Amino acid sequence: MTIKARFLRMTHIFFTILMLIQLLPDKSQKEVCTSSLIVFAIVAEAVVIILSFLIKRKESLSLTLDIFGFIYVFLTVWTLVTAKFDLLNDLLFPAPGKVISQFAEDKTVILTNIKSSVGIIIQGFLLAVVAAIPLGLLIGLNARLGNAASYLTKFFSSIPPIVYIPYGIALLPTFRSVSIFVIFLASFWPIFAGTMSGVLNVDKKIVDSAKVLNVKKPAMLTSVILPASLPQIFLGCNQGLSVSFILLTSAEMIGARDGMGYYVKYYSDFGDYTRTITGLLVIGIVVIAVTFLFNRFQQYLLRWRK
Amino acid sequence: MSTSKIEIRNLTVDYIEKKKNFTALKNVSFPINDGEFVSIIGASGCGKSTLLSVLEGINKPAEGEVLIDGEKVNGTGSNRSVVFQHYSLFPWMTTRKNVAFGIQQVRKELSRTQRLQVADEFLDKVGLSEFRNKYPSQLSGGMQQRAAIARALAMDTEILLMDEPFSALDAKNRIALQELLLKLWEGENSENKKTVVFVTHDIDEAIFLSDKIVVLTSHPGTVYDIVAVPFERPRNREELIARKDYAAFRSRLLSMFYHDIVDRIGGNEVVL
Ligand SMILES: Nc1ncnc2c1ncn2[C@@H]1O[C@H](COP(=O)(O)OP(=O)(O)OP(=O)(O)O)[C@@H](O)[C@H]1O
Ligand SMILES: [Mg+2]
Repeated sequence: MTIKARFLRMTHIFFTILMLIQLLPDKSQKEVCTSSLIVFAIVAEAVVIILSFLIKRKESLSLTLDIFGFIYVFLTVWTLVTAKFDLLNDLLFPAPGKVISQFAEDKTVILTNIKSSVGIIIQGFLLAVVAAIPLGLLIGLNARLGNAASYLTKFFSSIPPIVYIPYGIALLPTFRSVSIFVIFLASFWPIFAGTMSGVLNVDKKIVDSAKVLNVKKPAMLTSVILPASLPQIFLGCNQGLSVSFILLTSAEMIGARDGMGYYVKYYSDFGDYTRTITGLLVIGIVVIAVTFLFNRFQQYLLRWRK
Repeated sequence: MSTSKIEIRNLTVDYIEKKKNFTALKNVSFPINDGEFVSIIGASGCGKSTLLSVLEGINKPAEGEVLIDGEKVNGTGSNRSVVFQHYSLFPWMTTRKNVAFGIQQVRKELSRTQRLQVADEFLDKVGLSEFRNKYPSQLSGGMQQRAAIARALAMDTEILLMDEPFSALDAKNRIALQELLLKLWEGENSENKKTVVFVTHDIDEAIFLSDKIVVLTSHPGTVYDIVAVPFERPRNREELIARKDYAAFRSRLLSMFYHDIVDRIGGNEVVL
């Protein structure tokens, strides 16, 4: 790639515009923390420049730059309608600098909340994976059993998992165990269904191929059926994972003492919308980060596909 | 007891369809001797793959039976290795892993390193050394076919069942693999030759390779004729083709091959 392609991009113009509008006088009466925003933007731009050096593939570089470009434009518009022209109710719509400095202020609390939320998700989700995949493999192997089980699965997965919460609270001692239980249930059904449909739909050619090689039962399961169903299993896992986040944050808003859902609910009850918005954005970032890592893992395991 | 390695007796194979069954093979019988190289030729759809599937043990006949070493075939067995018409490598294994996995199923005594070593050796024989760490989706059709052949050959079984194994190859690779197959078939001494059942569309290939050629007719598949190949081994490709009796033999086979088409068109000579 030429130096021009690497470093002369729209993204940097958007960054410059974002910096320039900070020079406009503030109209908002409230604290707007312009310096926090500037620091944040400069750090972001530094990251962009480092990435421009490191990323080798042209498409990945463009994608990264485009994403940062969008962030700059978003921050620019946000700054203009809040701090600079004060077009919106400044109680409900804090300036971006305010949100950033709030994040810095609440860092430790937010981190503990993230840890709590992500910990619960990982535990519930992993339990579901460990239970659903072997069970789905074994039941899916028997076509008749598998067909019956798919109907039962349809029934159970049609119950919105959120309605398990009250029952979970009656059943289990702590909020944490209730959350893990509900996330387990919510992820179990899609992963189980995905595994079974994967097993039931393994290409006959593949099965024949394994048969003529005289692959014995255990190896048939682990070396043939499991990898052949892996794409479908991942479909189920992705579904389970995204439901888990929705569930957990909802559950946290109902009855928790920590977690990101609790943070958002707690402060919005007090009318502290700066913290509410900070919480929302943090949840978004955490969900994206977890899904990104999970997708990477999936891409690695499915690298053999076209 | 029969003395033949494989005995095919009154084989009728039906495919079960919605309304009525479709008879793909009807009353097929012939023996295959130990160490014999037998080709099966016949028009597309006449039931060649179906016949192999019964020998492989993945398809059960409606009537009749197949005996191997005097025992009725009832499922797959580690005395047979197979090259399917559709190659069928495992897409999640690299080429090398595919071959090694096949070896692992029949030769349990080998260590992982030894298996990989044998796999590499056979991948080299079929000219795929450079592609051994690629996944099947990254290979061309002909390369996948060669990998499947390498897997079957590396398994070193008594019986080889091959369904148009060279159909996707270019002339050069095809000749090289024909030679390789013959070499591995004969083995180190001619005492323990493998038994090969080889499906092909290519008459010259069938003549060059086989001891015996079985010609099938279509709808339903039956044995039209069984012809012994009268040319002594080792066969030299160029010399063979130059011989007068080769041309005569070839056109005799060809007319059998096309007899049902010729009958249908009305007896005119088919131009090839
Ligand atoms: N799974 C199946 N279900 C129903 N009919 C089938 C099935 N497989 C094959 N047939 C039918 O059986 C007949 C023989 O098929 P087969 O695949 O054995 O032919 P073939 O001689 O191998 O042909 P080709 O040379 O094209 O590979 C065909 O008429 C085909 O339509
Ligand atoms: Mg066929």
